[in-house]
Amino acid sequence: MQKSCLYRQVFCIILYTLMKKRIFTDTVFTIFMMAAATLFSFVFFHFGNKNSANITIIYTLALIIAALKTSGYLYGVISAVFCVVAVNYFFSYPYFKFNFTLAGYPLTFIGMLAISLITSATTTTLKRQRQAIAEREKELVEADKEKIRANLLRAVSHDLRTPLTGIIGSSSSYLENYHDLSETERTELVTNIKDDSEWLLNMVENLLTVTRIQNDSPNKVRKTPEVVEEVVSEAIQRLQKRHPGVKIRVQMPNNFLMLPMDPTLIEQVLINLMENAFVHSGSTEPMELSIREQEDLVLFRVRDYGKGISEEQMPGLFEGQQPGSTAADGHKGIGIGLTICKTIILAHGGTITASNHENGADFIFTLPKEKENSENA
Amino acid sequence: MPKFSVLIIEDEKNIQHFMSKILKRQDYRVLCSDTGKEGLELIRSQCPDIILLDLGLPDMDGDEIIRSVRTWSSIPIIVISARSAEDEKVCALDLGADDYITKPFGTSELLARIRASLRHSNRLMTDSELYIRPYRCGEMVLDFSKRLLTIADRKVHLTPIEYKIVAFLARNSGKVMTYSSILSSVWGPYADDDNKILRVNMANIRRKIEKDPAQPKYIFTEVGVGYRMAEDEDE
Repeated sequence: MQKSCLYRQVFCIILYTLMKKRIFTDTVFTIFMMAAATLFSFVFFHFGNKNSANITIIYTLALIIAALKTSGYLYGVISAVFCVVAVNYFFSYPYFKFNFTLAGYPLTFIGMLAISLITSATTTTLKRQRQAIAEREKELVEADKEKIRANLLRAVSHDLRTPLTGIIGSSSSYLENYHDLSETERTELVTNIKDDSEWLLNMVENLLTVTRIQNDSPNKVRKTPEVVEEVVSEAIQRLQKRHPGVKIRVQMPNNFLMLPMDPTLIEQVLINLMENAFVHSGSTEPMELSIREQEDLVLFRVRDYGKGISEEQMPGLFEGQQPGSTAADGHKGIGIGLTICKTIILAHGGTITASNHENGADFIFTLPKEKENSENA
Repeated sequence: MPKFSVLIIEDEKNIQHFMSKILKRQDYRVLCSDTGKEGLELIRSQCPDIILLDLGLPDMDGDEIIRSVRTWSSIPIIVISARSAEDEKVCALDLGADDYITKPFGTSELLARIRASLRHSNRLMTDSELYIRPYRCGEMVLDFSKRLLTIADRKVHLTPIEYKIVAFLARNSGKVMTYSSILSSVWGPYADDDNKILRVNMANIRRKIEKDPAQPKYIFTEVGVGYRMAEDEDE
């Protein structure tokens, strides 16, 4: 309670200061415009012809600019009054004296006042409209974000429930029917529990990595310079801990390569891509991980020699939109892994693509080199 | 051989049980504690040979326990922590923890860590044959007295700095060594904080000793923390 009160106070103070600042700058600007017009008029009047119509034009110009740049009607009206008085006092006979009996004087006054009022009114409405549009856009973006979050949450809870059902089912059948089960059946049940929990762990780790990305700040991820081969080797090590049978051929440049990145996140991307290649390619052929250095980016490619990506999977591959339950190989959602890969790579300012080659699938992602980082910093 | 005693400080009952089951089967004497306070009392009264410490305790910060134990004892401490908390790990290691293990971990991993930490603490106490007996792992042999590194009986030429790094890691094989501990042991206590020089040297070492630098067999990277050399096989 106290905290929110404090926030409100701070907010009010900020708003107040902003308004004060606004009033200050507007006043200064108006005074400046009027002074400039007067100065210019004096110079013009002194050296040029002594026609007060020209002077009126100069003042009108200054008046329009002042009304355009300031907010509200007040500045415009004050400026208009000042203009009329100034023209009368300085530039119409008798000079440096007021004379309100000049022919057509009321018309000048009314004209100037009208100009300033119309200009102020137009700019104020324009500003208001612009503000309204900006607000509506912001609301739309917020709603979109909310929708994505809700979708993700729904997908995740569904994906989490599946292995949990397996774990609960297997363990309760183990406990309840212990004596009726043969040794192999028991082992099978426990193995199922282990597999499902490992899958769950993988999922949770993926989700945790997403929390490291801050979409609100300009530096979405905390980048530190990392040695590419160290990140790659740790990713491979962790994958092999989970799937001891994985075989990977690595090709990378022989020189020392450092890249700005969040190593935990990039490791997750590599693990997800390599795990996909291992689990979904349906091939025991070793996969290839190749790293190539280009002028301003580094290119990572995970290539497997399996059945490739099917036509219907391709379009929404990175968006987590898997068409129905056509996962023919019976493995649970690969969608979320790739969605997370894309989120991570985009947050690093890189790109990620998938394609098929003659006998398998290719996943390629790029990471920008140092230059981009210094721009961000 | 007298049984080694292990103290597990962990508030999660399930994890405590599963660890103590594994360790009892391996003939360790197991003590358990749910809270940091009780843990500290047990450390003082029982003087265990090794401590397994979960950092997320309900009653006190795990760092505090490390700090307080290190004021009077060098009992090896292995920290149990979650992944993706590199800073937490580095902080605990710098405070004097010997090693860490990441949740979730497997049986073999846990036992290997305990073995490695126990071995090093014993070496410290009995000024042992450590500098005389060579380090051996797979095809790699590091002879400390001759300052000679061979892989499959082929001599590997290392620069003096590279040798210092490899020797330091080999002497602490099986344990993770933080960047700062390697830096200060190799370049001295006034070494620069920037670990890039260490990483460049490590890259060169990897190219000399590993067949495939991306899938190393001898020196492993713990990204954001440091390096770990494969466990000495001669034990």
